Amino acid sequence: MNFSSKLLENAVKALSTLPGIGKKTALRLALHLINQPEDQVESFSRAIVSMKKDIKHCQVCCNLSDDIICSICSDPSRVKKLICVVESVRDVMAIEDTNQFRGTYHVLGGIISPLEGIGPSALNIDGLISRVANNEVEEIIMAISPTIEGETTLFYLSKQLQSFQIKISTIARGVAFGGELEYADELTLGRSIISRVPYSSISED
Amino acid sequence: MENACLSMWLNQLILTNYKNYKWEEFNFDPVINCFTGLNGMGKTNLLDAIYYLSMTKSYISTNDSLVSRFNTDYFRLEGHYSRLEQHEKIVAKVQPNKAKVFEVNLNPLNKLSEHIGFLPVVFIAPDDISIIMEGSELRRKFLDNTLAQTNTTYLSHLLHYNRVLHQRNAYLKQIANEKNTDAILLDIYDEQLEKPATYIYHARTEFLKLFNPVFNEIYQKISNEKETVGVEYQSKLDGDSLLNLLSLNKKRDVFLQRTSVGIHKDDLLFTLEENPLKKYASQGQRKSFLLAIKLAQFTYLKNCLGINPILLLDDIFDKLDPFRVQSLINHLITNFKGQIFISDTHNHRIPGMLTDLGVSHLHKEIIDGKWKK
Ligand SMILES: [Zn+2]
Repeated sequence: MNFSSKLLENAVKALSTLPGIGKKTALRLALHLINQPEDQVESFSRAIVSMKKDIKHCQVCCNLSDDIICSICSDPSRVKKLICVVESVRDVMAIEDTNQFRGTYHVLGGIISPLEGIGPSALNIDGLISRVANNEVEEIIMAISPTIEGETTLFYLSKQLQSFQIKISTIARGVAFGGELEYADELTLGRSIISRVPYSSISED
Repeated sequence: MENACLSMWLNQLILTNYKNYKWEEFNFDPVINCFTGLNGMGKTNLLDAIYYLSMTKSYISTNDSLVSRFNTDYFRLEGHYSRLEQHEKIVAKVQPNKAKVFEVNLNPLNKLSEHIGFLPVVFIAPDDISIIMEGSELRRKFLDNTLAQTNTTYLSHLLHYNRVLHQRNAYLKQIANEKNTDAILLDIYDEQLEKPATYIYHARTEFLKLFNPVFNEIYQKISNEKETVGVEYQSKLDGDSLLNLLSLNKKRDVFLQRTSVGIHKDDLLFTLEENPLKKYASQGQRKSFLLAIKLAQFTYLKNCLGINPILLLDDIFDKLDPFRVQSLINHLITNFKGQIFISDTHNHRIPGMLTDLGVSHLHKEIIDGKWKK
C-alpha cells in the first residue's frame, strides 16, 4: 500500500494491529474516521485511552470494573453466599444477560492446560480459596466449559475446596467435546444455572 | 454367498493436488480395479487417496503438508459412493493454517472422528511388515484402527485418553522446570485417565477374543498350512488398575517427565505355533501372517458393521511366484466380497489372471499422475 500521507499510514498501521482487522479494513476505517466530525473522533479515542488507563480487576471477583470493587460485588441485593465460578469476563456477561442469576462471580482467568503453559498457579484460584475461607459462602456453582480441560479444572477446584463445608454444584453436563459457555444461548444458560446439579452426582456417573 | 445388503463401493473419485495428481477423475468398477505402472507413477497415491476419504488421513504420510502436490499448498478429494443403496458424496478439503474440512453430502462434519467407520477400509502394503518387526506403536495403531472403525465409543475414549495424557505429560515437564510438584493436579489427571483406559483395556481384550479364531482360519487357508497363529494382548492393566499403576510410577514419571505406564504402552505379541513370530518365522511365514492379519481385519470389520470394507492392496504380489499369486487372487475374489483396488508393477499379470478367471474388472495404466486413456 502506497500512502500519500504519513499520518494516514500511521493510523492504518495502528488499526491493523487489532485482531481480525486486515490492511484493507484498516484503510476503510481510517478513511471513515477522517470524514467524521473532530469532536466525535476525539471522544472515540478518549473512550479507548481512558478504558485502558482506568479499568481495574475487581479485588473480590477479578471481573472488570471501574472501581476497586465491581458493581456486582458492591450491589447489596446480590447474594454473597452464592458464587458462580467462570473462566472469563465474557462468561460473566453471558450469564448476566440471562437475568437469572442473583449471586456473585469469581473469574478464574482461564482453565488449567499445561499444554498451553497454564498451570493452576497461573489462575485466580488462591483468591477463590480465601473468599471461601473468609466469608460465609454456602454454595459454589462451577460454570466451566464442558471440555477435558474444563473437567480438570472442575476436579482441581473441588479438591481444593473439599475441606470447607460448602455445597458445590455444576452446570456442566459431563464432558461433551466442544461447546463453550459463551455460545450457549441465553435461555439454555439461564435454565442450566437454575437446574444445576450437585457436583458429586457428576463425578460418579 | 454374496449378500446384496452388504454392499458399498466407490463409483467416482476426483483428485485435486493430491500428491502427484494435479487434477484427475476416475470412474471405478464396483468389484475389482487394477492399476498398473512403474513405481513412482502414482499407484500408491491413488490407493492412499481412497484411504484418506475413509479415515480422514493418509495411510502413508503422517503430515498433511506432505500430501499436497509439489509447489501447491492445498488439496481436495471428492468421492462418490454407493453405500447401502444410497449415494454418498464425500469431500475432503485441506488447506494450510485452516481446519481440515470433511463434507458428507455437502454437510461439513463437526468432528472428523464422526466419519471413521462410515466407509470401512483395509489397506495392505509391503511396508506393513514393520508391524511385525518394529516397535509397539504400529501394533497399537493396528488395534486402534480396527476398533475405531467398529466402535465410536472406543474412538472417543481413545481421543479423550490421549488428550489427558498430553496434558499430564506437559504438566510433568512444567513441574520439572518449576521444581514444585502439585500432587493434586497429577492425581486429577490419573482419575481422568482411569475411565477411558479401563474401557479401552476391556475393548481390546474382547476384540482379540473374537479376532483370533477368524485370524487362524484365514491364515491356514492362505498359507495352506496347519500351523496355529496368535495375537496376544500384553497390557500392564491385566491384573492391576491404572490408578494403582500410576501411583506406583509417580516418582519415576516425575523424573522421566512423561507418563510411563498406561494403555499407550500396550503391545501385541504375534505368535506362530506359540513361539514369538519375530524370532521363529521365515520370511514367507511372516508374509502370510501379515496378509492374514489384514484380511482378518477385513472380516472383523465386515462382521461388526454389516458392510463389506473397501480393500486396498498395494503391490502385495511383488516377488511371489505366478502360482501363488493366482491362488491368492482366487481366494480374495471368492471370500472377500468388498470392492477391491489392486496396484501392481506388471502391466498384464493380474489383469490377465482376472480375465482368465472370467472376473469383470477395470484395468488402467497409471503414468505420471494420469490414467492412460
Ligand atoms: Zn467483583
